[in-house]
Amino acid sequence: MNQPSSPVHSPGAPVLKVAFLSESPADEAALHILVGAVLKTPFTIVQSSLRARGWPSVEQVLPAILRHLHFKTDADGLVVVVDSDDSPVHTAEHETPGYYHPHCRICRLRGVFRRVLKNLPPARGRDRVLRAVGVAVPAVEAWYLCGRDTSVTEEAWVKGQATGRVPYTRAELKWRVYGTERPTLMHETRRAVQEVTRHHGDVRRLENDFPQGFGSLARDLRSWSRPA
Amino acid sequence: MIAAVHFRNFKALRSAAVRLRAFNLLIGPSGSGKTSLIQALLRLRTLSGLPVARADEAKRADGPQIDFHFDPPFDDVRVTLGCSAHELVCNLLTVDHPPGIAGEGQWGELRTRLQSIRAFLFDHNAMAMPAKAKDDAGLASNAGNIAAVLQARRARFPGSMARMEAEFCRIMPEFAGLDFRPLGEDRVELFAKLAEDGDWISADNLSQGTLYLLAVLTLGHDPDPPGVVCLEEADRGVHPRLLREVRDSLYRLSYPLVEKGGRAPVQVIATTHSPYLLDLFSDHLDEIVLSNKQGNAATFERLSERSDVLELMKEAHLGDLWFSGILGGVPCE
Repeated sequence: MNQPSSPVHSPGAPVLKVAFLSESPADEAALHILVGAVLKTPFTIVQSSLRARGWPSVEQVLPAILRHLHFKTDADGLVVVVDSDDSPVHTAEHETPGYYHPHCRICRLRGVFRRVLKNLPPARGRDRVLRAVGVAVPAVEAWYLCGRDTSVTEEAWVKGQATGRVPYTRAELKWRVYGTERPTLMHETRRAVQEVTRHHGDVRRLENDFPQGFGSLARDLRSWSRPA
Repeated sequence: MIAAVHFRNFKALRSAAVRLRAFNLLIGPSGSGKTSLIQALLRLRTLSGLPVARADEAKRADGPQIDFHFDPPFDDVRVTLGCSAHELVCNLLTVDHPPGIAGEGQWGELRTRLQSIRAFLFDHNAMAMPAKAKDDAGLASNAGNIAAVLQARRARFPGSMARMEAEFCRIMPEFAGLDFRPLGEDRVELFAKLAEDGDWISADNLSQGTLYLLAVLTLGHDPDPPGVVCLEEADRGVHPRLLREVRDSLYRLSYPLVEKGGRAPVQVIATTHSPYLLDLFSDHLDEIVLSNKQGNAATFERLSERSDVLELMKEAHLGDLWFSGILGGVPCE
């Protein structure tokens, strides 16, 4: 188990055990920081080697990963973050009970969690592995630019999708973050960590500019500390 | 440097052309022309170092033919490899360049650059053996002299070597360093230090994947790289999760400004059979060349020129699409 940097922790409070499923080590390094900023409590990382090859592999491999975490580890929760690419952006309407958008990646990932977890018996002292799903719109580099480039927001992307003229491409976002369309993994990781560290543990701007993709992730994470 | 190659009646490449960019990833089944392209470049290197064919010799070249076109400032020069119909190897080189001293000068400069074409197919058995210490001028095609090359690099370019070593240890954290030890009078052996207990293990005890990755890093961090690097089976022996490091290392050659290296870009032509490596180029379809074989005839197609790929990629990974067969570039069954 890895031990990420710890925010304020009340003595005696249980330390959450969190698994991460993301598309690259760079994404994961940034997510460790962002999740810590939302949870505001120390956590340890279980099964640190989980990785997906992007959409649609995440969706395909998620059931097996959930069952593995449930039965074979003591993970409290699983954080899953993918890029939205050109898929429809999650909206408030999608949050309506019983609503499921067949092309929204948040709806689909939540659907996988529901389908898999509802059939699992309790194991390792808990009923289920907790869910935290986020979708970066259109790519995780948009989150990295939050607060530095005000033109990059979920709203701007949604408007662009509606008019058929997206405000930026994924390649442009990469340029803005990395200074190249072909960053090395090391450079990508360094820049990702630099950018998310810029928020100094305050994710309100991210939640404001990315209310669905990041907001959903934050709301899921905060629900972990409350009784289900 | 090389803008395009056009094959006529060369093995399976009856009439096939391929435009080349700074970085090129060739995918396709065996026998579809990937290796033929690399062999043609090596032939170009060899023959461009020799006197060009006389006019009467050139007239006999009525068999297979390979035309080479070049990027500026050599775009006025065209080189053709040919042979007579009954010959199997293109041994005649003809050059078409602007007349006069300027044209001769262009060709002279180009042929010097063509001498720096290199092709690699790494062999872990060769890499595991001690190398001749004097064989340190450049990485051999099978990387069998990697110990000598890296030992010399440490002496001549210590900063470059230190960066490569740090990269190696970052990617393979079970190791903490490299060393080179003399063996007998004229040989040198590669050793890697284990991070856990500090023990040194010799190259013949390193895994195949470790040696292949080290060879790729050796290429990618070369402070004085060749002008053209052809690498067959770039994914060879490397775990799928580490293929990103292979890609990064090869990109380092083709796009040196990214790393602020300040040297000229190296043209890279790599082949692979790995869908996982292919996936890493999903954002750069213009870097992927699909070689197709239908019957006995092979052709090349740049993936970015296909109108359907982006739509298809909304539903599946590029590597899976390739494997499925809908892109072509798969073996006949």
